[in-house]
Amino acid sequence: MAPNQLKALYEDLLRSFNARPSDLKRCGVLLNQLKMGLIQAGLLVPQGENNLEDLVISRDILEIGAFWSIRTQDVPSFDRYFSQLQTFYTDYSSVLPPSKREYPIRGLNLIRLLTQNRIADFHTTLESLPLRADAISDNPYISHPVNLERWLMEGSYSKVWNAREEAPAEEYKFFVDSLMGTIRNEIASCEEAAYESLPLKDAATLLFFTTQSDLLMFAQQRGWEVNLAASTISFARKGEEQMEIPKQKLIAASLAYARELEQIV
Amino acid sequence: MADVEMKPADSKSKTGDTKGSEKKEEAPKPKPSPVSEIKSNIALIERAVSTLEPRFTHRVLRTLTALRKRIDSTVLRNAIEGVYIKDTPEKKTLLSWIPEASANEQAMEIDSTSAPAKGVAQPSEPVAEGEIYLRLLILHHLQTSPETYPEAIKLAHETVEKMQKLNRRSMDPIAAKIWFAVERAYELGGELAEVRPLFLAAQRTASLRHDDETQASLINRLLRNYVHYSLYDQADKLVSKTTFPTSASNPQFARYHYYLGRIKAVQLNYSEAHTNLQHAIRRAPPAKTAPGFYQAVHKFFIVVELLMGEIPERGLFRHPVLEKALSAYFEIVKAVRTGSLSQFQTTLTKHAAQFEADKTYTLIVRLRQNVIKTGIRRLSLSYSRISLRDICVKLHLDSEEDAEYIVGKAIRDGVIEGRIVHEKGWMECGTQKGGYGPEVSDVFSRRIGFCLELHNESIKAMRYPLNAHRKELAAAEGAREREKELAKGIQDGEIDEDDMSPDF
Repeated sequence: MAPNQLKALYEDLLRSFNARPSDLKRCGVLLNQLKMGLIQAGLLVPQGENNLEDLVISRDILEIGAFWSIRTQDVPSFDRYFSQLQTFYTDYSSVLPPSKREYPIRGLNLIRLLTQNRIADFHTTLESLPLRADAISDNPYISHPVNLERWLMEGSYSKVWNAREEAPAEEYKFFVDSLMGTIRNEIASCEEAAYESLPLKDAATLLFFTTQSDLLMFAQQRGWEVNLAASTISFARKGEEQMEIPKQKLIAASLAYARELEQIV
Repeated sequence: MADVEMKPADSKSKTGDTKGSEKKEEAPKPKPSPVSEIKSNIALIERAVSTLEPRFTHRVLRTLTALRKRIDSTVLRNAIEGVYIKDTPEKKTLLSWIPEASANEQAMEIDSTSAPAKGVAQPSEPVAEGEIYLRLLILHHLQTSPETYPEAIKLAHETVEKMQKLNRRSMDPIAAKIWFAVERAYELGGELAEVRPLFLAAQRTASLRHDDETQASLINRLLRNYVHYSLYDQADKLVSKTTFPTSASNPQFARYHYYLGRIKAVQLNYSEAHTNLQHAIRRAPPAKTAPGFYQAVHKFFIVVELLMGEIPERGLFRHPVLEKALSAYFEIVKAVRTGSLSQFQTTLTKHAAQFEADKTYTLIVRLRQNVIKTGIRRLSLSYSRISLRDICVKLHLDSEEDAEYIVGKAIRDGVIEGRIVHEKGWMECGTQKGGYGPEVSDVFSRRIGFCLELHNESIKAMRYPLNAHRKELAAAEGAREREKELAKGIQDGEIDEDDMSPDF
């Protein structure tokens, strides 16, 4: 593909992306064509010395692709775009001018890890951010997921619930729903352990349900006993698990000791 | 951080595992002058090469740290002059790397080197290993002053090339040290990231050649490189794709465990991080020899222990080497122990700069939830029933709603035993579990396992000098011979019974 053709496509992409509302379908088509072009030009995964301007443009294209994937709710595609962008963010960070979309995208990636409950990956990614630890709180895009994680770990679920409206960018809201699903399951498992029974009304507030039917559906999924007459939910106690003596383990351990002792003596 | 780590790196090489065997060979002498020491070291290296005994090389390398501090340009020059009798190209290149001596060094030369310079005469050309060893010394010398850093990098490159061209197994222990010097050269030159491909390639070759020592050294170099740039993902992948050679020396193992511990801690795998850091502490040389490493490991160790919900021992903070370095951590521990969020927050902001420098800041931030958990546990121990409002006030939480969720989570996670009565708005605390159960036997068997392993490993580590039993055999033979003669003598009546010693 000729360079000027690529350029025309890129400008077309910019136009359709910046239009309000964005022309998502057209973006998708253009992105596919552009990616082919980038591969031909050897810019998708750049190696060695490249023209600076070309690099900036390919980074732009990939960034738009990442946002586009979120808007079309395609998380695996976002994942791909993000790993392609990594090259630009880490290896070329000293050459390229910083992108204003970098931190929003990094933040989105963090939230994605959070919603998928990949906490270990979340922390690894956080550590490798090119930010000083105390600068994190000043960066709205990063501090949002960081705060969410902290509240989730502490158990301050209501704060997470309240923070869902404070997303620093439009795209963050896409993850809110799945995050809420994660939280609800967390809360539900806490309730099973911590309560014997709960009034329906309180359970609904605790789980952030607005209607009773939603709650009843959820209760059914988790296998809770709902007593509609007294309007309470009672949680089946898992019961004090019978403590069993791990016979096999004990025998195996004793035999191993005997063998070792024999070797020593 | 960088410098703290480097110091122990070398001093650690002092603790080898072959101490017993060489004691009788090497009588403790008063400190020889650096030049003669270098020369005798080269002689030792030659012996190592000719007898195929890497033990001698190890002994030479063990003195590296002490020696490194005492060398300067003149010492090096004299040593090279003494080692190379004839003018060879090797000698010239070596000499060309040594920077011109300054005036005061010239003065020093007279008292330190003149006398013993003629002591050990080297009849022939030294082996290639000797040359590499000299290069190692020059490298270390170049790294002492900032002006020669670029030169150090150049020399490092040349040496590495030479080493790879020679490809001799007897050089492996020295090669491992060279790689360390290469890394240091790059770090001082501020180009640590660029050396990575070089290390990776060398690591591949080393593992193909079963060059365990170089491999161990290189894995540590790479891990350090990754961790320095916070590339924990790559570091983790490296660890999973390589196997650390089991025959590596203790200092290498200590470092390896230290880096593993750091990686695991970032990945929230605290129990494994804890074991790794503990291994690092156990394998590390005594605190006085390598204080930097000791302190760095303990910093992470304490934070990880806190993250696991345990409180480090008080005695640790009174250790003479650690007391000062760990003062900030001590305050954090106090805050966590009392479960006071506000105290924790103020300590954190107060020492933020230090934690940042130690790279423990993000780990310490994670402690927040532990502070809350400890607080809840304390409350559950002291009250049989407490209202959520009181919990909220005592732990400085923002709202009662939060308190309910937090307590619920604590119950689920098994931090406390109890339940919440929502209608009344209080928490009822259950009784603590007894101290008997499968966990106890698990811990017990883990400890026994450790002791047994220690025993087996110490047996494996014992060394017997070659052919030593022959001597004993000969001695026994001789004794039997004498006995026979004696018996014969008695029979013949030549020796009187009284002549014999009473214990015969």
